[in-house]
Amino acid sequence: MQYDQHTYRLTDTGNYGTVALIVGVVGLIGSAVGYITDPAQFFHSYLTAFFFWLSLGLGGLFFVMLHHLVGAKWSVVLRRLSENIMMTIPVMAMLFIPLLFGIKELFHWSHPELVATDHLLQSKEPYLNVTFFILRAVVYFVIWMLLAFLLNRYSLKQDQAHDNKLVRTLRVISAPGMILFALSITFAGFDWLMSLDAHWYSTIFGVYVFSGNLLGMLAFLTFSILSLQSKNVLTGVITPEHHHDLGKLLFAFTVFWAYMAFSQYFLIWYGNIPEETVWFLERWESSWKIISLLLVFGHFAVPFFVLFPAGAKRHRGVLMVISIWLLIMHWVDLHWLVMPSLHPHGIHFSWMDPVTMIGLGGVFVWLFRRRTAAKPLVPVNDPGLGDSIRFINH
Amino acid sequence: MNKQIMREAEGMLAEFAGPGNLLEAAREMRKAGYTHFDCHSPFPIHGMDAAMGLKRSPLGWIVGLAALFGTSAALGLQWWTGSIDYPLVISGKPLFSFQAYVPVTFALGVLLSAVAALVGMLALNGLPRLHHPVFHSERFGKFSDDAFFISVTADDPLFDAEKTREFLQHIGGKNVEVLRES
Amino acid sequence: MSTEAPHIPTSPGAPPLVTGNQTFASVTENICRITERKTPPVWYLALGAAMSLLLVLFGSIGYLFWEGTGIWGLNNPVGWGWAIINFVWWVGIGHAGTLISAILFLLRQRWRTSINRFAEAMTLFAISCALIFPGIHVGRIWVAYWMFPIPNQMQMWPNFRSPLLWDVFAVSTYFAASLLFWFTGLIPDLATFRDRATSKIKKYIFGFLALGWRGGNRQWRHYELAYLILAGISTPLVLSVHSVVSTDFAISIIPGWHTTIFPPYFVAGAIFSGFAMVVTLTIIARKLFHLEDFITVNHLERMNKIILLTGSMVGYAYGMEFFIAWYSGNIYEQAVFLNRAFGQYAWAYWIMISCNVIVPQLFWFRKLRTSIPVMFIASLLINVGMWFERFVIVVTSLAQDFLPANWDYYRPTIWDISTFVGSFGLFFTLFLLFIRFLPMISITEVKAVLPQADPHQGGSHE
Repeated sequence: MQYDQHTYRLTDTGNYGTVALIVGVVGLIGSAVGYITDPAQFFHSYLTAFFFWLSLGLGGLFFVMLHHLVGAKWSVVLRRLSENIMMTIPVMAMLFIPLLFGIKELFHWSHPELVATDHLLQSKEPYLNVTFFILRAVVYFVIWMLLAFLLNRYSLKQDQAHDNKLVRTLRVISAPGMILFALSITFAGFDWLMSLDAHWYSTIFGVYVFSGNLLGMLAFLTFSILSLQSKNVLTGVITPEHHHDLGKLLFAFTVFWAYMAFSQYFLIWYGNIPEETVWFLERWESSWKIISLLLVFGHFAVPFFVLFPAGAKRHRGVLMVISIWLLIMHWVDLHWLVMPSLHPHGIHFSWMDPVTMIGLGGVFVWLFRRRTAAKPLVPVNDPGLGDSIRFINH
Repeated sequence: MNKQIMREAEGMLAEFAGPGNLLEAAREMRKAGYTHFDCHSPFPIHGMDAAMGLKRSPLGWIVGLAALFGTSAALGLQWWTGSIDYPLVISGKPLFSFQAYVPVTFALGVLLSAVAALVGMLALNGLPRLHHPVFHSERFGKFSDDAFFISVTADDPLFDAEKTREFLQHIGGKNVEVLRES
Repeated sequence: MSTEAPHIPTSPGAPPLVTGNQTFASVTENICRITERKTPPVWYLALGAAMSLLLVLFGSIGYLFWEGTGIWGLNNPVGWGWAIINFVWWVGIGHAGTLISAILFLLRQRWRTSINRFAEAMTLFAISCALIFPGIHVGRIWVAYWMFPIPNQMQMWPNFRSPLLWDVFAVSTYFAASLLFWFTGLIPDLATFRDRATSKIKKYIFGFLALGWRGGNRQWRHYELAYLILAGISTPLVLSVHSVVSTDFAISIIPGWHTTIFPPYFVAGAIFSGFAMVVTLTIIARKLFHLEDFITVNHLERMNKIILLTGSMVGYAYGMEFFIAWYSGNIYEQAVFLNRAFGQYAWAYWIMISCNVIVPQLFWFRKLRTSIPVMFIASLLINVGMWFERFVIVVTSLAQDFLPANWDYYRPTIWDISTFVGSFGLFFTLFLLFIRFLPMISITEVKAVLPQADPHQGGSHE
């Protein structure tokens, strides 16, 4: 891999992207085989994998908007890479289409004969019906793509011209964007994950989903920065000071995720109302308990204690390992949210879980690589770039 | 003034023009081999630790231990009172309901850490200490306003009334004075 | 590969954090002057008014001890009235101080230096006011020590599975940690006061309180880490306190109380109301003490942005509660929320919505969020709205419980009102004493953000 430190561009990117695409396509073909052999398993695995990769893009979208809104200086050097993660959303929107054929397999509220015998589902019918479900999904993707396109467009425009007004433009997009984002990710979480168990409900669920998404995205961002830097790309631009801040963010959002997860669990545990506890009971009474405990320790305790010392947040090796670990845990979290709906009696791993992950992941990585290769790796004309590079953490 | 009753010198104080000069002077002091010197300023100066060659404060470890003690003591208290000393089933919860014990465990962990942070900081700084050679100087009071000082105490192996004075002046010190009880 | 230095754009310098070409000495002078000059008559007048209210508080509490909680407007279904509303409201207000002193510190928001001391003091006084209410509402005040795990003649222990007990620990820890944090921040400023003191009494008092601070870097290095650690532990603490307060409601199974979003929703609301209070007090103080150079419109604008953000979070939580109440299919939940919006307490609900959700939307416009009169009125309205939020939560869910035969309408009595109004007396008395005798702006921290404090002049670290 070749990198021109004058223009911040990759001049020779190697063939990682192509390899990723080939792997992705093979994975998707494998998934298609899964669809033929066991459609129910396929759709659940695909939903998990799809939400995983989409969530990174959504996390990227949030991170970029947050950056613009607060006018942060230190994170300017991370902005373009975050935008590259964000710009996978449009293709993810297309990869959502297969799920539309799985509504019947995934959501029991979509079966009229079940709804006819279920008083609760009848009362939810104005919201939980196939037409409105699809309509909402379209709205979510329109919002996300619109925001992503606009943010991307003005960001690239900024690369061309020394125009400080664009800083303001980007902020003006981000402010209402944040509200639209908060609402859309909440309801997407309700629709695609919470309504898998259509009886169950939790007001914090949207925030819980969001916290996991953002943590996953930060882990992916850290991972990609460190792997770029291991090839001598962006060294001296993204410094240990930025690593330190990424470490702090990973730490902070680990705690944030735990706070949301604990709030949800704790209040339902204490209230002990059958209609609510059933959801946790399903994930506690059978072998799913192992995954539940894995989340407590792996998604919270391990990263918490590993990232606690200041030294660890600046240590590339530690950051690399913990970001991969957090990505795995993010998948485990989603698996734990989705799979008990299909396999209520205990843990069930299918070969389709990794294959759908690889299929969608290959496409994701290809998209990310392609954009990383095509554009400067940092917003070259952002007025905060100099401050960001010289930034010292204290 | 009668030399007989003049007290022994306890140290020396020199004033510097600004934070940048103080930082530079601190580097010089360290290079010259002084160990018992300090740089007084109205606010912490960024980069001074490195200039003086000071290691990171060990306070984090003290607080960490306090947090560990606070959380385990809290958990122990709740376990012992609720499961051993007076077991009582309340609202159908298990005797040892770790979920319900989280808030108090957390609160006591934080409480002890906060106390340890302040007390530990004072202990590491040898405070409260109302008497110190630098307070002999009339001018020293200005450190908390807009003045920057370097003090060297007499127990520094390199301390020498004449040489130290010359050195302090050489590195830009103004109003160099000997610290002694008046 | 190119070897020449890459092109790096630079930012057009950010506006200064404090104005008026301040020097280190002028910062000391301007802030110390407030406490050193002759006591202005206005201060005596204000203190007199505050202490009169404080007497009202003492009187109300005295009568309460004599007569019992029957003097309050509590009735059969509404067993929790103004006492818990006021408690939650005051604790919530405290949260802004900790957010400013701890979270904004960790986020490297250097503008906080002008307001953090002031806001932290507000936190301490607000928690003091809050602590009155759980203290006095227990009925048998003489056994209030049962709240603590102290061995007693019954050989019983407090119930550690009760959120009311978590409150005791969370709020008293919050008070203690805030006090330690505040004092830590004060030490160097107390040294300034010591070194400027002219009278012997002041020299002794501040000399004692400053603990012999010498401002040496060997001290600063421990001090700075202590400050960072205190900020680090105060951050989860502040989130936990209002989360714990929210569990007073949320662990129950009462419709309208039992909902999983309560912890973060309460925290957002607390910060929201706290910032409104900081804005209210700041506007008055900067005018009164001519601190416009230190607390600029820029500072106020930033606080208004936080109000807009947290106000939107609160609005989000209201929306989620309503949506999930419908979505749950639980008719009791649905009834409670319909009742809130259209029932006998609809007036309170719509005050809450207008003040907490609609008013902050004004701050989308730069013109409005930089206008002092607009933000002053908005901040007052938000505090009213946040009080009514707690009123709506506490009263509407209780007044119409599961048994329609129990339903009743809750009305406060004069003693409810006098206790609440009296708590302002405590708050303002403490506040007035604070601004008269202690530095209301952190002298040390403001100096540290002046451009000339950077030893490598010109280089920016932000």
